[in-house]
Amino acid sequence: MVTKLSHASIFVTDQQKAYDFYVTTLGFKVNTDVTMENGFRWLTITPPEQPDLEIAILAPLHGGMHYNTEVVNAFKVLLENEALGAGVLYTPDCRATYEELKARGVKFKGEPKEQFYGIEAIITDGCGNWFSMTQPKEM
Amino acid sequence: MAYAADIYERMVSAKVYIDKNFDSNIDLAGISRQACLSPYHFHRLFTTIYRKTPHQYLTWKRLEKARLLLEKEGISVTEVCNSVGFESLSSFSLLFKRESGYAPQYYRNIAYLKKKLAKEQPKRFIPHCYIETFKLG
Repeated sequence: MVTKLSHASIFVTDQQKAYDFYVTTLGFKVNTDVTMENGFRWLTITPPEQPDLEIAILAPLHGGMHYNTEVVNAFKVLLENEALGAGVLYTPDCRATYEELKARGVKFKGEPKEQFYGIEAIITDGCGNWFSMTQPKEM
Repeated sequence: MAYAADIYERMVSAKVYIDKNFDSNIDLAGISRQACLSPYHFHRLFTTIYRKTPHQYLTWKRLEKARLLLEKEGISVTEVCNSVGFESLSSFSLLFKRESGYAPQYYRNIAYLKKKLAKEQPKRFIPHCYIETFKLG
């Protein structure tokens, strides 16, 4: 029986830039941050109120992961075109969070919109990914 | 529930005020002044928008900063307590334990050991599938 998601991966163009976005700006917590001898950096973060989900921030374009050139190029195309929707971020108030993050320089693909499931804005991490930032409709 | 745009601007400016001044002796009256609202009105709106009372949010910010400082070396638990805005070590310890599950000194010891172990044996922290996929072995 599978009961939880314990680890997930987000592929990014630049790990340090991703650190700044997820940790410094969004307030995610660092779980593990260690660099191995071959240069591979194992950086995992957890959402502020979800300590048992570790998200590995992986940089396929930069050393240590042993992908072949073809795979690296495929990642490059996907990330540089922001083709990967990385998930849904929960917020208790989409409009307030949008105002705050926008003032801090975070890029959005448009303003918050009412959807049938709640209020949503599309947020980008600046490292190749976008998320739906959603305030779910109260039942 | 949607509010007028200026309400969001006011609430965000008050939240940012807490984010920047949580280590000082700030109170509800001072915070609500940032939003140009009465303390009662501000408290109600803040709690609706952020799902935490202003006091709960302020305490959470202080404890988060304390957690980061405890993970560093060279600063005592008392100094951590004072530098994040708590006046009483006992109430800090109690709140920290309630939030994290550990007393501050115990949390610090665990963080130190984890950091040491991660440095010495990084593979212990990486699920084997990642080690296999990225040929880290």
